[in-house]
Amino acid sequence: MTQPQSRIRRSFGDLSERALAFWLLVPAALLLGLVALYPVGRLLYTSLFRRRLTDETGNSPVFVGFQNFVQAFADERFWTALWNTLLIVLVTVPGALVVGLLLALLANLPFRVKWPVRLGLLLPWALPLVFAGLIFRWFFDSQYGVVNDVIVRLGGERLLWVTTPELLFWAICISIIWKSSSFVALILLAGLQVIPKELYESAAVDGANRWQSFWRITLPLLLPAILVAAIFRTITAFQTFDIPFAMQNGGSSFETLAMYVRTMSIENLNFGYGSALAVLMFLISFAVTLVYLRYVRGADD
Amino acid sequence: MKKLFWLLVAVLLASTALAQQTRLRVFVGGQQRPDVMRKIFDLYQSRNPGIRVDVEVGGATSDQQQQYLTTVLASRDPSIDVILIDVIRPAQYLASRWADTIDKYLPAASRQALLRQYLPAYSQANVINGQLVALPGFADAMFLYYRADLLEKYGFKPPTTWDEAIQQAQTILQREGNPNLNGIGFIGAPAEGAVCTFLLPVWAAGGDVTNAQGQFSLTVEQAQRALQFWVSLMDQKVSPPNMAEKPQDTIRSEMQAGRWVFGTMFAYAWNRFQNDADSQVKGKIGVVPLPAFAGGRQASCLGGWQWTVSDFSRNKAQAHRLVRFLSSPEVSKILAIEASNLPVFPALYRDPDILRVNPWFGQALPVVQAARARPQHPRYAEISEAIRVTTNQVLARQKTPEQGAREIVTRLQAIYGGR
Repeated sequence: MTQPQSRIRRSFGDLSERALAFWLLVPAALLLGLVALYPVGRLLYTSLFRRRLTDETGNSPVFVGFQNFVQAFADERFWTALWNTLLIVLVTVPGALVVGLLLALLANLPFRVKWPVRLGLLLPWALPLVFAGLIFRWFFDSQYGVVNDVIVRLGGERLLWVTTPELLFWAICISIIWKSSSFVALILLAGLQVIPKELYESAAVDGANRWQSFWRITLPLLLPAILVAAIFRTITAFQTFDIPFAMQNGGSSFETLAMYVRTMSIENLNFGYGSALAVLMFLISFAVTLVYLRYVRGADD
Repeated sequence: MKKLFWLLVAVLLASTALAQQTRLRVFVGGQQRPDVMRKIFDLYQSRNPGIRVDVEVGGATSDQQQQYLTTVLASRDPSIDVILIDVIRPAQYLASRWADTIDKYLPAASRQALLRQYLPAYSQANVINGQLVALPGFADAMFLYYRADLLEKYGFKPPTTWDEAIQQAQTILQREGNPNLNGIGFIGAPAEGAVCTFLLPVWAAGGDVTNAQGQFSLTVEQAQRALQFWVSLMDQKVSPPNMAEKPQDTIRSEMQAGRWVFGTMFAYAWNRFQNDADSQVKGKIGVVPLPAFAGGRQASCLGGWQWTVSDFSRNKAQAHRLVRFLSSPEVSKILAIEASNLPVFPALYRDPDILRVNPWFGQALPVVQAARARPQHPRYAEISEAIRVTTNQVLARQKTPEQGAREIVTRLQAIYGGR
């Protein structure tokens, strides 16, 4: 064990183990700083200025301190977008976890031919988000869409899915759950496969039925994987943009926080205010991640 | 040996010529026929051996192109020299200082002479605060397309008022009994075209967003009547209840599949109806000016594309020369013949070569001349958003026309008030 270590030490000169570790980490830290910290820092900096390309401050930003943030807190549209984003998180994260778990259990069944199921799992995950949005827009088209076609065949009335706010919300949630549950299923499938088979065998010997062994063995042992999936899913749900954007033709009857950030910065060219909104969005996702991580640490202890 | 010597000389000469060549990069949108543009640039290159023109093709819609250009121009990237921009953008390009104004290359007298040649709407649209921001490339306006075969079948003439159009649509829908056929198509999705949808009845009733002095003048009542008009088309069942889902190109493709009696669209649709392989309506479509309201006047929404020089270009003088060529009658004629783009010079609407390819251009001139421009404002993007999103919500019946009208007026007031 000591031999290779001393060889490394020799080639790096006379370094203590601590110093060596430090120098080995430097390139990675620099890279991280370049691709992650610099943009975030730049965003924070821009958010403190009035910088609107459509007026004279576009070329010479004016420092305004936290005024953009004060403006956001008084902005009704910001609160609506935040509320919409929260609703998306509250519905689609548990939704994707439940559907993903069912899919993972299905893919884990001892089928003779597993690959069609697993391929079916991968397909939605590999599809770009905007495609998913477009596909579902066609599905939910009131005149030619397949969803209304089914409803009419069953004797119901055509519904205006994309333009009725409540229906649009559920249409968006269904699309997001469809798109993201396969990712959840992939993580959970990996988790399922490391549960030792012997546990189920001995449970069967003890007379446990399938339901009992699911509740007592599968679910507790799968908890770490579920938590990982939930963290990923929550963070991406906070950034929901593509699917609602594509489903509404770029419109904003239902606007998430990310959509509002885009409208303000890219469309209205109000970079200062847009950056402030993006900072708020970043802080919220960061806070949620911290809560999760705390919970994970608590579970580990 | 002698051959080799001459070959070397030739290579040397060619490489110095290449070294002296100026390269200009031109940005055009995906729907603006980059293939035809390339032919025009080849022509320019053959006449100006020192210049090479590269084409960069961007997004398919005006909004998509602008999103990309915003990134390029906000970072002061010098890679693009000449840009084709939508008629709604010059004010913003001037405010953001993205465009190099054309004035410095033109003495005042020749500027006036130059601008007089164009359709007045375009010289107006391109002069902002007295500065010439861009020069017109091609014109556009909204027209009423109709199913000539169906109108003829029931003995109707193309409508000149909306009441006539509604009656004709009702009769045809009733007698045809085809569940896939719809009456009057208009842009209802929250895309740029919905701004025109909102403004058409406002203009036709004599109103506008601003008065002649450029001050905000739209009233809640005007806005409410405009929104009420489109909602009533759905109430009368000449338009289906899902108009809020329909962007312009959906109406165009549905009309191409034979699903509409009437459709309000920009000029590009004509070419698609006649030439697309999947068109079910070849030779069955007529086009006329948009109808008027009873007792009101006809109004159309002005479109069109302008050439401007990027302020970050490193070859501004050369770029300016290219723009002068691109906005010349010669190029306008090529674009009219090869791309069916409406000319920006009134005289070309009587040009026999153009009329041979596009016979309907003969009737298009009065429409383009009467077409009104959308508001010119550096914050046009916000004006557009306020109008199109609210119009869409009213069509989706999330808001009443009165609520929508109040919202539009309040938001526009704030923008014009500098808030």
